[in-house]
Amino acid sequence: MPKNLTILVIAFLLTSCATNSPECMGPQSKNLDTAIDAAQTALINGCHAHFDRYYDDLLSIAEGDPKPENKRAFSEFLVWSSDEGLLSKRQAQEYYNRFFNVKFMTLKGDYNNCSQTCPNKRKVLLDMERELSDKEQGLLRVSLDNEGYYRADQLYQEVELVLEATCTACSAGRR
Amino acid sequence: MRNAPNRAPTIPFESARKRSLHVALTAILIAAAILLSGATASANTPTIRLFPTTVVEDLKQTGNVARDMETGLQEIIGRLDQQQQLYIESKCDGAEDDSGCQRLARQIGATYLEMLTVMEERLPDMEHTVNNTRNSLEKGLRNELGKKMTPWTLQETLLGSKASASEVTASPTLRGRSGMRLSERFNQYYQLVATSGAKGDQSLAVLASDIYLDMEETSLLIQRTRQEIARATLMEQLNQSFGIITPEMIEVVGGVKSILFGDADAVPGVSGPPPGAIEQAYRSPLEQ
Repeated sequence: MPKNLTILVIAFLLTSCATNSPECMGPQSKNLDTAIDAAQTALINGCHAHFDRYYDDLLSIAEGDPKPENKRAFSEFLVWSSDEGLLSKRQAQEYYNRFFNVKFMTLKGDYNNCSQTCPNKRKVLLDMERELSDKEQGLLRVSLDNEGYYRADQLYQEVELVLEATCTACSAGRR
Repeated sequence: MRNAPNRAPTIPFESARKRSLHVALTAILIAAAILLSGATASANTPTIRLFPTTVVEDLKQTGNVARDMETGLQEIIGRLDQQQQLYIESKCDGAEDDSGCQRLARQIGATYLEMLTVMEERLPDMEHTVNNTRNSLEKGLRNELGKKMTPWTLQETLLGSKASASEVTASPTLRGRSGMRLSERFNQYYQLVATSGAKGDQSLAVLASDIYLDMEETSLLIQRTRQEIARATLMEQLNQSFGIITPEMIEVVGGVKSILFGDADAVPGVSGPPPGAIEQAYRSPLEQ
């Protein structure tokens, strides 16, 4: 009886080892294409919960070899992630545009500025500032798109000014 | 055959109907073409209305009033500067009991009163035109950018069709308005607004916001100044009998000078774009 129990325990331990989640190590290569391949393999083998970390790792690797073509590599990686069902299409767009587009995803919204943006102006501007920092990484440090980053920075300043005026005008209308 | 006479007149009648149908169709086509061309034209013109004609006129008027005030005050402020210089050179600081210094202090006080009087006379006009401009812009900003736009459409308006940073730097940069005469400032606003038809919506939104915030600030400043003038006038009338120069007087004169004639030290630098521009041919299918 104790012998049978030992066999059962060993069998249980072996099964539990087999179903353990993988280690989900970050990509080791400093080459972006190789790193993307490694990340893709890990992501479809149970590491999808660590998507954010993999994306950050890939950005850091790309910073080591910045070039305009990196934009395409990230776009294709995100389209693949969406096709594999790791991300929704909306999430993929959010990841791409937040880092590689001039437009601010923070400014997504369906209601008018007086009712939606103005009451949360400080938070909106703070979120934009954070997004600008991501754009600095994506546009400037990963893709060498200086012009794009400069435009995003300019857009941030313009939105700040226009929102200040618009929100003052909105609140004056309520007085 | 009995039908023949009847049929005969129907031929011209049918051709007339066809002709009128043809004319009607042509008219519809022409009308559609006109409507389409109108739609295309309106698509090329700014769709947001931030600068009604009244704003342009108000800006012009404010500029004129500011120039009149400057002209009236320039000579007085010049005289004040000279008197203050003389006071310092005569080492009157700390020698207030000296009769000569008291006379100088009274002269400065009298000139200061003159300055306050001119301002008191001119400020109501100024306040009126500044408030008119502010109110018109306020309405436009609230309706066009506040109520008709979402944050996303506002962003798209600001971004416009400007793809490159070189086009961005060509648009007006107005922030940091000190270092400029008041009349010059309004003249610049007037020129920018009067020629704004050639600019896109994105420039108009920034321009309107900038002018509106400036008007709001100016209006508040005028309001405070008017409240202060009555008090300062009374105080100075009292001081006249003692021949005292108060630090407040010097501060007020300095403030008026910087508002009217600008503060040369406060001219801000405009940062340029980072060096290097790389052509971006790639567009991701994920881009919005």
